[in-house]
Amino acid sequence: MSSADIVAEIAVRFTALSLVAIGGINAILPEIHRVVVDVEGWMTSAQFVELFALAQLAPGPNAMIVALVGWKVAGVVGALVATAAVCGPSSVACYIAWQWADRLREAPLRGVIQRALAPIAIGLIMASGYTLARGADRSLGALALTLLATAALAFTRINPVWVLLAAAAVGIGGLA
Amino acid sequence: MAADPQPPEGSPLAGVTRPALFASFLKMGLLGFGGVLPWARRVIVDERGWLDDREFAQLIGLCQVLPGPNVVNLAVIIGARTQGPIGSLIAVSGILFVPVALMLAIAAFYASLADNVHARNAIAGASAAAAGLIVGTALRLLLHARPPPRGLVTGATAFVAVGILQWPLLWVITVLIPAGIALEWRASRTDAERKHAKRE
Repeated sequence: MSSADIVAEIAVRFTALSLVAIGGINAILPEIHRVVVDVEGWMTSAQFVELFALAQLAPGPNAMIVALVGWKVAGVVGALVATAAVCGPSSVACYIAWQWADRLREAPLRGVIQRALAPIAIGLIMASGYTLARGADRSLGALALTLLATAALAFTRINPVWVLLAAAAVGIGGLA
Repeated sequence: MAADPQPPEGSPLAGVTRPALFASFLKMGLLGFGGVLPWARRVIVDERGWLDDREFAQLIGLCQVLPGPNVVNLAVIIGARTQGPIGSLIAVSGILFVPVALMLAIAAFYASLADNVHARNAIAGASAAAAGLIVGTALRLLLHARPPPRGLVTGATAFVAVGILQWPLLWVITVLIPAGIALEWRASRTDAERKHAKRE
């Protein structure tokens, strides 16, 4: 597959995902993982999780993982196309929805849709965590780090960056 | 008729210039280590006074229901309220471009370290924790939302189908979203009937 083909593939696949990213980027991570690891074989599961960790350590929105995946498979052009494909359609939809927001507020179905989507979004985010953990946890030490980070985020208000840096330090110690 | 894209007279958003819009979202993007949302609140509510806490919470609620990255949606709406569609473009560029450029620089630096054993060990540790952060996010949302049994069923189905069975997301949600809405719709009608019966 040539680089141009890869970029085109990313553009088509990610554009479709943009409009179903309910709950944000974390809801579509398993699908991005499925496409780039299982379907296309562009990287291993472990490499995917490494990119995710890098994206979490850098500043910026969660969408940065998408830029990194694009960069890994097709360089800077891949990064820009992937970011635009994931953010573009949803942004246009958001602009349109905002113009209708006042009317939507009174729609009887709005509450129903909101209550129906929330648990599905949570299930998808959980699926992301599971997919990432399967790629990252190749030792008991790594599994322990995953569980500790889970607890830190679920039950404390600590900034996630400190959790990542602490885990990186543990990793340098050879425990992951 | 669509809502008036201009903010009402006297709203702090009416006087926001394009450079100020870009600079504010640039700041949120650059300071947003471990998530942009807390910084978005700080800049928009505390520093600039564009919205109060209640308005900000309502806007975030809307951004979370809509598809796409939440903070990008936030940039779209705030940008639109100050300068129309151009404002949306300016705010989204502010929050995306510089972080993407920085991200690529970091990635290139990381690629040059790929053979270093310490760098590999560090990223292995951070990877394991990063997975946990997402599981923790889901847990936190679950504890906060406490969905009824029908919600637990649709949420668990989404998790099993997409996470464990690794079925294609588009197929899964094409079935799951209408099913979830139907369940929720039936429940809301049953609730309404029950209330009605009680009143009589």
